[in-house]
Amino acid sequence: MSVSRRTFLTGALATTVYMSLWSIDPAKAKINAGSKKEDKELLMKMVRTLYPHDRFPDGPYIRTTDDVINKGNSSPENAIMLQEGIDQLKSDNFSKLDMEESTKYLNKMGRTAFFEHVRGTTTVTLYNDKEVWELLGYEGYSSDQGGYVNRGFNDLDWLPEPRIEEHPDLAAFLSESPTKFAEIKKMIANELN
Amino acid sequence: MKKIDQKESAVVIIGSGAGGGTMAYELTKAGIPCVCLEAGPYLKPEDYTNDEWGAFGQMAWLDKRTTSGNWRVAKDFPGLPTWLVKAVGGTTTHWAGATPRFMEYEFKTKSTYGNIKGASLLDWPIGLEEMADYYTKAENAIGSTHRGGRAALPANNNYKVFANGAKNVGYKFYATGPYGTNAEPYDGRPASIQDGFNFQGDKNGSKWSTAKREIPRALETGLLDLRANSHVIKITHDKKGNVDGVLYMDNDKNLQKQAAKVVVVAGNSIESPRLLLLSESDMYPDGLANSSGQVGRNYMRHMTGSMYARFDKPVNMYRGETMAGFCADEVKHNPNRGFAGGYYMETLSIGPAFMGAFLEPGGWGREFTNMMDGYQNLAGMWLVGEDMPQSNNRITLSNTAKDQYGLPAPNVHFDEHPNDIAMREYAYEKAEALYNSVGAIQTWRTPPYPSTHNLGTNRMSAKAKDGVVDKWGRSHDIKNLFIADGSVMTTGAAANPTLTITALAIRTGEYLASELKKNNI
Repeated sequence: MSVSRRTFLTGALATTVYMSLWSIDPAKAKINAGSKKEDKELLMKMVRTLYPHDRFPDGPYIRTTDDVINKGNSSPENAIMLQEGIDQLKSDNFSKLDMEESTKYLNKMGRTAFFEHVRGTTTVTLYNDKEVWELLGYEGYSSDQGGYVNRGFNDLDWLPEPRIEEHPDLAAFLSESPTKFAEIKKMIANELN
Repeated sequence: MKKIDQKESAVVIIGSGAGGGTMAYELTKAGIPCVCLEAGPYLKPEDYTNDEWGAFGQMAWLDKRTTSGNWRVAKDFPGLPTWLVKAVGGTTTHWAGATPRFMEYEFKTKSTYGNIKGASLLDWPIGLEEMADYYTKAENAIGSTHRGGRAALPANNNYKVFANGAKNVGYKFYATGPYGTNAEPYDGRPASIQDGFNFQGDKNGSKWSTAKREIPRALETGLLDLRANSHVIKITHDKKGNVDGVLYMDNDKNLQKQAAKVVVVAGNSIESPRLLLLSESDMYPDGLANSSGQVGRNYMRHMTGSMYARFDKPVNMYRGETMAGFCADEVKHNPNRGFAGGYYMETLSIGPAFMGAFLEPGGWGREFTNMMDGYQNLAGMWLVGEDMPQSNNRITLSNTAKDQYGLPAPNVHFDEHPNDIAMREYAYEKAEALYNSVGAIQTWRTPPYPSTHNLGTNRMSAKAKDGVVDKWGRSHDIKNLFIADGSVMTTGAAANPTLTITALAIRTGEYLASELKKNNI
């Protein structure tokens, strides 16, 4: 896979979407950085702090963290970036911080390459996780089940049924010239005054 | 399938989307053999997948591109200025389906809006009167709902929220269309099964695309030589200056040549001007059809933005047709609002995978995850309006970045005009008011996605000095070179562009067929 696919989103606010999806075959990547248990725990805490969902179990966060580590080992350069980032978390005692403190800490960290790697990978991998889809109530693939035409595409019942046809005045509205339209507006305004 | 000899001077169409696919059908239907060169593969419904990232990887145009300018896309997605499709059918494969026409004065914005500082407004050389019949033909080809006696789509969940909000704030002109997916069986295509996947290609085949209709019908005439995975990199010309062939890379990266008596460029607003610029020669040092210096200029992408709103009850917006909700109340030019032109509000839904990446690029933290956590309770709409053409918003050839063939990649430069920004702010406020009127507990102003509407860059003009093509889509400079895609749009109007691209291509196709039959070319 070409490098260019990996670099779509490498601006200041970039996410590493493409890296997460196709560019790297994790099986072939040499895993070094972030492979220790305590490193993984630190990264997972960072992932959870960035994208907190109280009702999510550990599973999606573990898979996402694994992905952060895999992609972080895609090149020697990335592995160094990842390990340095983890070491910084360690020396700052990130593991001891509570939710509020760790959020503040990450806010202060700024958009470093390490931060963007973790954040960008997470935003794609976490929300592309099938268990997360289920937790969020998203049903995914549907054409193999006949779509939603008989499975709730219109089951919202807390609002009245709206009109689906166009308003009879639409064609006239669209064909009015702006001058005339402005005049009508003025007339209405005068009428209301 | 017909085989046309590479040495035979053929009518050559570059691209197979709304413009190229339609041209291929119009010409072959009129008995004219054509070669259609498409850079991407021939994907069929069975290849499409109901998976956002999977489909993106399968069909998005991912060749090297660079960006510049003050638009946020250049910061959020620097290598991905557009979201277009590289496959037979082009971007009609993943288009949502909204089919509004231009309004009459939207062909005459310079006359209507007057001079706006920094904007290169220009009246089109044609108007709604010339286009009306072609709009009807295009609506009938597409099967637009609410038009030609065709039924309206039913209200899906996202539309119920949208339409109730619209009504509450006093809007009148909302409906479930016009929309290019069948509510009832039409033209050999089945009714929608509301599967919720449009941007991924429609597996059910209810939605119009040139891959579904025009290309197969052109092939059925026996006159179309369709070559997928064939990426045109240069148009050549003879000593008189008329185009006489194209060079293209085949699937194995071998260079091929096709002789041509007519070339129709239909590669969209990035690749079409890029190809003209790449085709420079001693005779045309600034690129083909560029004596005006207008090739690549006046790039437009529509004023866009999205509004997502979270409620305390389920919506399940992802079920059903993605954009089958339409509101026209804000579309009319009304300078009292503080900007020129207008915009449509259209329902929009994306899944959690895309929501994570696009709701707020770069965003994180509790506020963000509150929206994501409430995914089931979200409703969404897209705001799409006219943006101001500006001469320096343009496609150029990069001095440094190269594509997979080593050719200069296109750079897409876009600075937002103050009018675009004022319209977006106004539109966000109105959208918030709409959702608040039905009880929204959180709203989110989502910034523009990579551009799906790409317009201008080879603008149509009455005078040769003002633009690239004439009112038929024929280049001012070279009589056997035509352009048939969104790049010919003089100005962009508020309307989603596919219907207009298709209508223009039908018109250009009929004209070219008649010129060829009269031996005028």
